[in-house]
Amino acid sequence: MRERMKLFSWLRYATPLDRKLLLAVAILVAVSFALPLRREDGAQVIATVQDRVVFKAPLNIDRTVDLQGPLGTTVLQIAAGKVRILSSPCRNKTCVHMGEVHQDGDVLACLPNKLVVHVESKTLAGKTGHDFVSR
Amino acid sequence: MILSVAENITLEQTRQRVFLALFVALAVVLNTLEFLLPNPVPWFRIGLANILGITALFCYGVRALWLVNLCRIILGSLLVGRLFGPGFLLSLGGGILSAAMMSCGFSLGRKRIGPIGVSVLGALGHVSGQLLVAWLVVVRHPGIWLLLPFFLLFAMISGIVNGLAAHFLLNSLAGHAAFRGLRERLDILTGQQPDLHQQQSGN
Repeated sequence: MRERMKLFSWLRYATPLDRKLLLAVAILVAVSFALPLRREDGAQVIATVQDRVVFKAPLNIDRTVDLQGPLGTTVLQIAAGKVRILSSPCRNKTCVHMGEVHQDGDVLACLPNKLVVHVESKTLAGKTGHDFVSR
Repeated sequence: MILSVAENITLEQTRQRVFLALFVALAVVLNTLEFLLPNPVPWFRIGLANILGITALFCYGVRALWLVNLCRIILGSLLVGRLFGPGFLLSLGGGILSAAMMSCGFSLGRKRIGPIGVSVLGALGHVSGQLLVAWLVVVRHPGIWLLLPFFLLFAMISGIVNGLAAHFLLNSLAGHAAFRGLRERLDILTGQQPDLHQQQSGN
């Protein structure tokens, strides 16, 4: 309890309005941290090599593709609604270690091979998203 | 020396100009010092120079705040050699939004908002302005807004630190005869707790 008192002892220099303001700001910060956690799942995978789109596919159809970069072939796998890089010709294999991603805005990148993979919520059909999905 | 009323006003104006010049000079020094400090995360800065902006605000009002902060940004960028570069645009965007937030907070919460509240508002304005400029001019990718929570958290902490520094600076300045009236304004703010800062013997 005494530790707590010390931690917040500077509050006695704040006016009552300051304290209300600080509380509001703390809530704002907490909310801003919570919001991006609730991103929706992505629907589409877009891969670019040197800023040119080389591959586009929906996230709900499993497949494995080979993508050509300046260094060689990077293997991209879409499985169970998630995307990951299986193998890469680069040295560090950072892209392989980035693991699986599936949320809107997620990115996998292999800088040596100039490959960037985005996950987006937009579908191939348009910006409105799925009406329904059938298999 | 005997001074007439007219001369008193001139004296007051001269004093204000001299102190504002000193505030700007100190702010530029703090700005440069912070630029020289090793920084683990490139965009996170404490914004120590804003202490002087807040001090000017509480001593001389909103116009003094804008003067000190804008002069500090232009002179500070000139000194570290990035005037009109992308970093300067970020500073300017942050500085303008920060000064706007602080002026609004100070005017709306008149006599109730203290240096800490103003400082936190300014810090929030600064990171928001910076990210806005970065998004509009430099990065142009909405993913940059994912950084906002971290910036806001850091801004809140640095805002509190700067606000406390400004509080102590103002209280020590208020003991000086050149800042007549400042003591009363600070006492109105902390009127509920009169024994917090011991009254310094006025000379």
